[in-house]
Amino acid sequence: MSATAAATEIQNTPLIGVEDLHTFYGKSHILHGISLKVGAGEVVGLLGRNGVGKSTTLKTIMGLVRPSQGRVVYQGYPITSMAPHKLARMGIAYVPEDRRIFRLLTVMENLRTGLDRGNVTDARKRELLDKVFTYFPVLAERRDQAGGTLSGGEQQMLAIARAMMLEPKIILLDEPTEGLMPRMVSQISEIIGALHREGVAILLVEQNVPLTLAASQRVYIMEKGEVRHHALASELKVGDPVIQQYLGI
Amino acid sequence: MDLLQQCFHGMSFDLFVIQTLNGIVTGMILALVASGLTLIFGIMDVVNFAHGELFMLGAYMGVLVLATTGSFWLALILATLIVGLIGAALQITTLRPLIGRDPLTTILATFGISLILQNYALWQFGPVARKIQEPYTGHFNLFYLEYPWYRLVIAGLSAAIIGGFWMFLKYGKYGIWIRATTQDRVMAQAMGIPVPWVHTAAFAIGAGMAAASGVLFGPLVGVNHIMGLDWVLKAFIVVVVGGMGNLGGSIAAAILISLLEAYASMLGCISPAQAVIVSFVVLVLTLLFRPTGLFVPTPK
Repeated sequence: MSATAAATEIQNTPLIGVEDLHTFYGKSHILHGISLKVGAGEVVGLLGRNGVGKSTTLKTIMGLVRPSQGRVVYQGYPITSMAPHKLARMGIAYVPEDRRIFRLLTVMENLRTGLDRGNVTDARKRELLDKVFTYFPVLAERRDQAGGTLSGGEQQMLAIARAMMLEPKIILLDEPTEGLMPRMVSQISEIIGALHREGVAILLVEQNVPLTLAASQRVYIMEKGEVRHHALASELKVGDPVIQQYLGI
Repeated sequence: MDLLQQCFHGMSFDLFVIQTLNGIVTGMILALVASGLTLIFGIMDVVNFAHGELFMLGAYMGVLVLATTGSFWLALILATLIVGLIGAALQITTLRPLIGRDPLTTILATFGISLILQNYALWQFGPVARKIQEPYTGHFNLFYLEYPWYRLVIAGLSAAIIGGFWMFLKYGKYGIWIRATTQDRVMAQAMGIPVPWVHTAAFAIGAGMAAASGVLFGPLVGVNHIMGLDWVLKAFIVVVVGGMGNLGGSIAAAILISLLEAYASMLGCISPAQAVIVSFVVLVLTLLFRPTGLFVPTPK
C-alpha cells in the first residue's frame, strides 16, 4: 500500500486533520501551509531539521499558538484556536519538548493535574495510576518527591505519564528522547509501542530517525514550514536519499 | 551618650513582652492581607493595587451586616463571601481582558479600581469613621496592662484562616490547580485545567482574605474609606521582603516586620508613629542584598 493509499484510507475518518496551517511568531512566518492527518490509533512521525516548524505544528494543534490561516479538525469538528484546556478534556494530550514538569509539585500531584477531571470515578483513577506505575515503576517509588528533583529521563516519563492521565485519544509527543541516555531511549520507544497497542494515536516529533521509522506507521518530512515528503514508515530506511536530503544524515 | 540614654529610657521586660504580643497580632493580620496579595501576584503576575480597598470594603460590609444582624461572626463570614464575589466580578471584567498584556496596564487598572472603590465608599458612607463592635470585650492582666482578649482572637483567627488556606493549597483538588497554574500557566492549560477560571478563583480568594482581615481589624481602629492605604503599603513591603509570590515567605516577613516595628516603637528616641520607618529600612536592605526575597531558598 502506498502512502497515498494509506492517506486515502484514513482520509475518511481521520482523528486529527490539519489543513493548510499558517502560523506566525510576530513577523516571522513559521508554518507555510501545513497539512497532515493522523488516523485513530495511528502513530505518525514528523521529521525534519531543527527550526522547520515541527514543534510549532504541535503547539498550533494544541491551541497554544493561533494560526493566521488554515484549520484543525478533530473527530470531524473544527477545533482551530479552541482553548487548550478544552482540547485536553476532549482527549488531546500534549507532551512538550522541554517536558514542563510542575517542578514544585510532587510526582503524584503532577499526575493529579490530569486526573482530577470531575467525571472520573475513584476506581478509574486507581486503574489509571496503576497502569502508569506498571509502565514506569520509578514514578511509583518517587511519588512523593518534587517533580523538579527527578532526573531528565524520569521527568520525561512523568511528562508522558501525566499526559496518559487524561485518557487521551491522541498524544502530541515532542522530542521525547532528546538528551536521554540510550537505556532511557529504548524505554521511551517501548512506551510508544505500548500506547499504540492500547489504541492511542501519537503524533511524534523526533530527531531520532531510526526510532521514528520503527515506531511510526507513516512519516511526514518537513522543511521550512512545509511538508515536503510523505511516506509509509516501512518504505523508508535511514540511509535513503530523501532522508539525507531533508535531514542531512 | 545622651541619645543612647534617651533611646533606651523606659525599656523593660514587661514592655518587651507586651510589644512582642502586639507585633504578633498585627503581624498575623498583615500576613492575612499579604497572603492574598502574593497569591494574586504569583498566579497572574498582577500587582493588585486595589487590595487595600478590598480590605476596606470588607470592613464596611462587616459594619453593614453587623448593623442588620447584630452578629459579628455572621458579619465576618458574609463580608468575606460578598467581597470574594466582588473580587471575582472585578477580575472577570477588568483583569481577564488584560492577561498577557504589559504589566503596566494591570497596574493602572487595579489602581483605577482602588480609586473608584475609595471614592465610592466616601460617597456612600461619608468621611466619619464607623465602628465595628468587637465580639469579646474582656481583658486579662498582663503586667500593668489590661490586655484585650479580642487581640488574641484576631491573631488566632488569622492564623486559622491562613492555615486553612494552606491546607486547601496543599491537598485540595483546586489547590493543586492553583499551584500548577502558578508554576506553569501554559502547561496547566494543556493538562485540562481551566486557567482563566483558576485566575478568577484566586483573585476571589485573595479578595475574601483581605475582606476577612478588614472585619477582624475593624474593631481596633474604626472603619473609614482610606483605611486600606496603610495596609496595602505594608503588605507590598511584606510581599517583596518575603519573595514575590511566596506564601510562606510572606507570612514570615509579615511577622518579622510587625515585630520589628513593635520593638522600634519602644525606643524613646523615635516616636511610635515613626516606627514604620523600620519596614522601609528592611525593604531597602532586602532589595539591595537579597532582591529575590529573604525567605526564598537560594537558587541552586
